[in-house]
Amino acid sequence: MKTVGARRVWSVTEVTGALARRLEGIPQLWIEAEIHSIGRRGGHVYFTLVDDHQISGTMRAVVWDRLPLPPRDGDLVHVRGDLEFWAARTSIRLRAERIEHAGLGLLLAEVAALRARLEAEGLFAPARKRPLPMLPRRIGLVTSARGAARDDFLRCAWARFPADVLLHDVPVQGPASPDAVARAIAALDAHPQVDVIVVTRGGGPLEDLMGFNSEVVCRAIAAATTPIVSAVGHERDTTLCDLAADLRVSTPTAAAEAVVPDHTALSQRLDGLESTLGRDLGRVRARAEERCGARAAALAAGLRAVHRRSEARLTGTSARLAPALSRLPASRARLVDATADRLGRAGPARVAEAGARLERAAAVLEVLSPRRTLRRGYAILRDDDGRPVTTTAAARAGQELTAELDDGRVRATVTGVER
Amino acid sequence: MNAGDDAPRMTFEQALAALDGVVRRLEAGDVGLEEAIGLFEEGRRHLAACRERLAAAQQRIEELTAEDGPSAPPPF
Repeated sequence: MKTVGARRVWSVTEVTGALARRLEGIPQLWIEAEIHSIGRRGGHVYFTLVDDHQISGTMRAVVWDRLPLPPRDGDLVHVRGDLEFWAARTSIRLRAERIEHAGLGLLLAEVAALRARLEAEGLFAPARKRPLPMLPRRIGLVTSARGAARDDFLRCAWARFPADVLLHDVPVQGPASPDAVARAIAALDAHPQVDVIVVTRGGGPLEDLMGFNSEVVCRAIAAATTPIVSAVGHERDTTLCDLAADLRVSTPTAAAEAVVPDHTALSQRLDGLESTLGRDLGRVRARAEERCGARAAALAAGLRAVHRRSEARLTGTSARLAPALSRLPASRARLVDATADRLGRAGPARVAEAGARLERAAAVLEVLSPRRTLRRGYAILRDDDGRPVTTTAAARAGQELTAELDDGRVRATVTGVER
Repeated sequence: MNAGDDAPRMTFEQALAALDGVVRRLEAGDVGLEEAIGLFEEGRRHLAACRERLAAAQQRIEELTAEDGPSAPPPF
């Protein structure tokens, strides 16, 4: 410092030297700021800490590379280090020794670290995901009994199906939330009738959702044997609970749609299956009756022919017997008379018995006959040659067919064939 | 635990799948009358089981609080 006239004059070096002495008194400190302009040069990482003002900072690259979750541009961080005055440029730099995420960033870092750990364990693996039941006997619901999520879920679920719901009331935010949610999942998982569990809450800031990012909740989900649907937060918030669950949806309404079938559609499907079942059996029976009918007709004709031949033989024998008897001596004739008597009695008796058997057979045949089927409203379709048409393959458009009904026949023309 | 009393032999989707299978076999058309009747009866049983499950749902809600442990009395 020198004096020129009335003026005291400082050299630059004297000024920076004075500043350096003042700054020496500032101890190592924590600074909260957003980190920006991160870059790497040589063995150091350079960055700028910003609020309304800004300070440059550096960190040794080997230290930076060992940070559990290195910050990215714009992250809010806590930095600990020494202020370093670089006299030659009159600039101040923070020489950082530690950098940690702060605020939201801190929470995100926690979630990211836990996520990485559980992921490495395979807790979120697709192979772990279990399919949801089509129709749960009872739905376990883990949410707040006073939350909008509960109302949304029930409204949507009951619009689709009169499902039975077992709600486990839990705090969905705050310090008690993780344990309560985990216990509720375990309790519902142990319930014999609960076939699916829904864990849900509405959207909110990350700190409110942290219960659903907790290890205890993820472990409870992984330990459960019941399939679990997670609907936590909004579309953009993916929690670890979502990742651990068997199905992740974005809203309570979507969760209801996922776990509850549409009652109307399901009933219609059952009705459809019932009528198909009846139609199929009817078709098989009609085919069987037709086959029986053809054989029954042949059988009846055969029986009648046998009957006729027996009668003819009996009559013929009697006719030959009479002249022969007259030529026998009287003593023999008496014997023969007795035999003829027996024969005379036996012949008609046997004929009567055969007739009765024939009647019984005819009655059985009547039961099996296609006529009875026709009387119930069925028809036998025959082609020009009188052959039954039993498959669509035997019919072609424009073909003339005869439909045989109980009391007559109807001539019909095929207008189309559907297979 | 009353799992034995409450657990049906088949879940709803198992019964429905069995019903679908019966219909498919009947529709294949290569079954005899006796087998068809057997299948039909089996189908009716599955159908009845499905309907029973549908009818069992009664839109009930039971609320447990966090204090109720797994040892709490079974609801409804």
